[in-house]
Parts: sequence; structure tokens; C-alpha cells
Amino acid sequence: MSENSAPLIIGFLCNWCSYAGADMAGTSRAAYPSNIRILRVPCSGRVDPMLIVKCFQEGADAVLIAGCHPGDCHYNEGNYYGRRRFALLKELLDFMGVERERFRIEWVSASEGKRFSKIVTEFTNEITSMGPRKAG
Amino acid sequence: MTKTLSKNELESWLANILKERTLVAPRRVDDLTLFLPVHSTDEIAFDCSNTDLSPKDWFFPRTEALFTAEHKDDDIEITPAVIEQETVIFGIRPCDAKGIAILDGPYLGDPADSLWAQHRAKTTMIGLSCSTPAPQCFCTSMGGAPYDSSSVDILLTEVDDGYAVETVTEKGETLIQGVELKESDVSGSVPSCDAQVPAEGIAEAVKKAFDDPYWGRLADRCLHCNMCAYVCPTCYCFDIRDRTEGGKIERLRTWESCQSKGFTKIAGGHDPRADKGSRLRQRFCHKLLYFPEQFGPLGCVGCGRCVVSCPVNIDIREIISDIQELGAKVGEGSN
Amino acid sequence: MASDFTQQIRQKAIELLENGTVECVIGYETGSDGIGARPAFIYDAAEADRLVFDNTCTHNLVKYLLNKKGKSTAVVVKGCDSRALNLLLNEKQIERDKAFVIGVVCPGIVEWGWNKRSQRLQKRCDWCRQHTPVVSDFMVGDPVTEQPPAAFADIVEAEAKTAEERASFWQQHAERCIRCYACRQACPGCYCTDCFAESLDPEWVGIRIAPAESQMWNTIRAFHLAGRCISCNECERVCPVKLPLSLLNRKLEQKVLELFDYKAGMSEDAPAPLITFKKDEKLGIAE
Repeated sequence: MSENSAPLIIGFLCNWCSYAGADMAGTSRAAYPSNIRILRVPCSGRVDPMLIVKCFQEGADAVLIAGCHPGDCHYNEGNYYGRRRFALLKELLDFMGVERERFRIEWVSASEGKRFSKIVTEFTNEITSMGPRKAG
Repeated sequence: MTKTLSKNELESWLANILKERTLVAPRRVDDLTLFLPVHSTDEIAFDCSNTDLSPKDWFFPRTEALFTAEHKDDDIEITPAVIEQETVIFGIRPCDAKGIAILDGPYLGDPADSLWAQHRAKTTMIGLSCSTPAPQCFCTSMGGAPYDSSSVDILLTEVDDGYAVETVTEKGETLIQGVELKESDVSGSVPSCDAQVPAEGIAEAVKKAFDDPYWGRLADRCLHCNMCAYVCPTCYCFDIRDRTEGGKIERLRTWESCQSKGFTKIAGGHDPRADKGSRLRQRFCHKLLYFPEQFGPLGCVGCGRCVVSCPVNIDIREIISDIQELGAKVGEGSN
Repeated sequence: MASDFTQQIRQKAIELLENGTVECVIGYETGSDGIGARPAFIYDAAEADRLVFDNTCTHNLVKYLLNKKGKSTAVVVKGCDSRALNLLLNEKQIERDKAFVIGVVCPGIVEWGWNKRSQRLQKRCDWCRQHTPVVSDFMVGDPVTEQPPAAFADIVEAEAKTAEERASFWQQHAERCIRCYACRQACPGCYCTDCFAESLDPEWVGIRIAPAESQMWNTIRAFHLAGRCISCNECERVCPVKLPLSLLNRKLEQKVLELFDYKAGMSEDAPAPLITFKKDEKLGIAE
């Protein structure tokens, strides 16, 4: 669990779209809370459910996955597979007591810097009001 | 005349023990009966014939840190695990207690396992003899008995108004000090376990049948699910691996089983027991041949848990019988 | 009925072994308590009279075909087991022409344990809507008409609890798990030679037998079976500490049906849901 009861959010951002989008947020000085710890992956489709569950096990209060918009995946299809996988995982996690709201998937393009910062700010506020993850 | 204790007196005694030590007894959890710590004598399942998992968890925990290591100044400080808590196990059956006692063979050999030794020193066992052995029991065939007091500190036997008490060891004397025992005239037959498993001379027979294709055939249905090893009071194989958390390293020892694939895999990739038949054979060779050769007693106490839990009915009693037959044939052939 | 099934299976086994069509017939025989069945491997027609079929034949024998790769083997399958067969065919783990499938129209399997048998059907038999094997080379019994699909009442009930209650429920069960991996060993869908749980680097699970690791184990195993689990429920039956594993598998089964209209193991060829996609599908993700 995080030390100062601010939520700990792990973000998996795909290199081509969302990581670039986050970068753009930076260059445009569109601030967002620093609760999110960003991990760059080649594609949102690369994100293994094991990584996500491990994040929650190790104390994350929330996980964000950001990828290219469907149809724009740098690898053509990665995000389509990811979408199916995450849809199921979200349900399984919710079933096991990790509320749906804690696992969020967003499509963020490289030019959506302001939008990225808005998403992360909203997400952080939402998770803060939900409180730390209970048990397990 | 026998020393006896009424049921109420037993419960008060246990309630007193609870105040200063961890009291472990059979407890029902959903559909299971397990040896777990109790917080009141109401939680004790006095009527269970035996638990689903053996009490070896209390001497050889499923996970145990051997030591922890961390950086302190410019050095590494290693802190070995120390067992401080005194534990009393109530309701342990003679077969399970015998299982713990025979594991002193491997664990207290030279060099002795410090954690096993500490658990043994800090634990007192109040055994309960078996008035009605269960259908899977066969302790007498394996050198034990339902009323065997040799491995416990105190043995209780159910009689008409309570329990007959036999104090066996000094530790038992210390525990029962202050408890008033009545001298009574007790009647009742000595419990008996009638199962007949032909274990006499099994070690020789196993040796003779070592190369028989029987093992491969038997292993056809084995799932290598590890359950036999985990429910067994005398299985003691383990794995050791280091685990880091927040800059501290713990060296963990956990249960492992010779049945799992890769148990004998060695660096370089070779696995001397890669096939199912050799792995299954190993289980029975260990229990019925190697263990008695090294330590004396058979490595099976006849509790029957493996018989009840094996999902595909690999039944040690049947195997012992089959091997005796096979061993005898080998004997006839050779000359 | 059951004794007739037994006779038919024995006859077929004798025929297959005598003709050399198969090297081995995997079926059921009566176990050491004289009550419950256990898997039987018959290599010789003379031993075919060991084979039985009754309502204790709970085991999913399809798993054993993975140990008989390349060898012609006959296997007795019930409805659920036959779906496992399709799963393994679909995933190219076994060859269809090496397996001779003796399908049995399943009467339902009762709850039983060593030396005790009840008349009550197993939970999974209440849920089952596929008593007739979906693949067979020889069918024992007449195909039955199924009742309309069952609602996932157990899942709905579990979901009626709050998130906190659910988290606590699974935490308690994770405390009981002893990581024997019996669930994995019994499951026909779990056949990876190097299971993620035994990976040293990255160490996803580790050896420590404690709730955090056990949660990781059970959650991911369930997820690896998403769209693949055929609900034989052997995992739950073999668990020594009676974890309610069916809840996890069925939750995913419910969702896979709802989102992708897919039921595992119904055909050898249907593309599995997690290796396909539809570009415009709406799954409740980022919409």
C-alpha cells in the first residue's frame, strides 16, 4: 500500500500513441498528478494480464492502460486483442473485489496531450475518493 | 485403577492452556477439518476421526523463513528464524504423532535442522487414541496402533465419563501439573484397527520389484498433483528460494513433492526422473525402502489420508499388496 | 442402463484392441473402495472386463491423451470431456486420427468421495447442457434433448456482495490454498510444459505459500482458461482444501458468452475468442 495514502496508479502506455501523448502533455505544460507511474510498452496489446494482477498484488490502487485508438494501432491489431483481453480481465478483477473503476483502459493518440492530462487527473481524483484498495 | 479426567475438566484445562500458549486442535472450517489455533474450546471438533491435512504444518510449516538478511551500514546482517511461541497440539492421533517422531530421523540427524528442533522443543502434544478407526486407517499394519502413546507427551483415551490419562514424558508432566486427576475403575475394550495390509518385508519386495513395468502402468493415471505429499504426515521434501521484499531478503523453505514434474531437474536440463513411472515409483521406494533403510521405521504411518484424497485412487494399501506379489515372483525366478 | 453402457464399452474396447486400431483404451474401472471409479488404461483385450461406466465416472480422461501423443488411443468421454477434446484439437495438442473417441451420453455424475457416495448430482451436472458428446467415433447411449440454458445463479449470488465482501471472501480462500497445483494437474486445459507459476524469471508467483501468491495463482489460472474452460469442474473436485474454483471459471464463462457469444469446445475449428477480434465490437472498454 502507498505510504502517504495518495493512490498509487500504474500506467502502461503504448510507445507509439499514448506515451507520445503523455510526452506532449509534458511539453505543453498540461499538468497531471504524479500518482501515476508510467511504464512504456511497445503496444497496449503487449500488456499481459499477469502484469496487471501483479500490480494490484504489489500494492497498486489502480491501473491505467493507454493505447492507440482502435484502427490506428502501430502494429495494426495489437489493441484489438488487448481490448478483448482487458474486457474480460476487468470483469474477473471486479468479481474478486477489485472494483471495475480501478482498472481503466483509454485510447489516447500522440496528439492528445491535453486529453491525457485530463484523463489522468480525473482518474487520480476518482481513485482518491474511492480510497486505497481493500484487502487481498 | 486409571487416572481419568472428565470432559468438563479437560475443557477447563485446555482453556487455561489457551491463556499462555497457542492451542492447536482439530477445527471445522466450511467442509474441512484442520489442525488450527483455537481461541476457545468451543471451536474444537472433538468428534472428528482425523483431519484433512496432517498436523505436520506445526513442525514443518508449508512456508517458513529460515533467515532474513538485510544491509546494515556497510555490512549484511543475517537474522536466523527463532521460534519463541509455546504451542500445545490437542487431539493429535497416534499415527500423526508417530509421523512427527519418525521425521526426527532426517531432521535431527547430523547436522540437525535448527527450526525443526525448535518446533519440537516448543511443542507439547496431547494425543487422543482412536476409539473407532476410520475405514482408511491401517496404522497397525505399519507398526503403529490406535492407542500407541510412544510419540506423544500425554495420551488421552475416551472412556465412559471422560478420558483416561497417560502422562508419557516430562514435558507432559509439566503441562498437566495442577490438573486434578481422578483414580477410576475404567472398563472398555482396547481400540483396534483391523485393516490388514501386508507390509511385513515390504522393503525387500520393493527392492525386487524396482524394474517392474508395474510402476509405469500405475503412473498412467497419476496426475502428479502433489496431493499425496501435501496431506501426508511423513512427507518432508521441500524447496528453498530467496525472496526479496523492500530491501530485505528472506530465505524461504516451502513444501515440495517428488511427484511434480521437474522436481529432479538439474542444471544443464537433465532430469533423472522425467517420466511419470519413475516419479511415482520414487514415492513408494522412499516410504517403503529408502526411509526404513536409512532411519529404521517405515515412512508411512497408515493414516490413510492419501487413500482418501488421491483423485485417481492410487492406493498405497493396494500397491503394497501388489508389490509383495511381484516381489515374490522375482524371488521365485532368480537362482 | 449403466450396465448396458459398461457392456458396450467393453465390447468396443475388445474390438479396438484385437484389431490393433488402438494401443490403449483409456476408460474407467472401479476403485479400491469398491464404490467410486478411477481411470483405467487397458492395453490388452483380455483386461477389457475391468472397464465400467457408472455415475461415479467423474474424471476427465481427455487429459491423458496428452501423455499418449503419437500413439493411437481410445478414450471414453462424457459430454464435458468431449468438449475438452475439441479444445485440445483446436489448440493442436492432439491429432484427431490418433484418437478413437468412445462417447457416452452422460447420465450425470453424483457427488462422491472415497468410501462414500451420495445420490446427489454434482453441481456441474446441474449446470450442464451438453450431456451428449459433441465428438465421437462410437456413441454409447441415445442423444438427449437438453433443457434451456441455465442462468449463472451462483455467479449472480456471488456478485450480490459488495466489493469489500468479495475481496475478503477471496482473501480467506487464498489463505487456505496450499499451492499443490492439483487443480492445474487435473485440468485438460492446463498443459503448458513450463507453467507461469514455476517461472523463475520473471517470478510471477514464487514458492511462498501465502495469500498474495495464491491469489496471483488462482486469478491468472482462471484467466488463462478464459474462453477455454469446459466446466468439467475437476479442478474444484480435486482441491484438497475445497476452494470454490468453479466461481472463477464460471464468471469468465458467463462473460465470454455474453461478450463474444462463444462456448468453449463446441467445435474443433471455431476460432477461440482471445485470438480473434471484431473491429467494431463494443465491449464496454473506453467507449
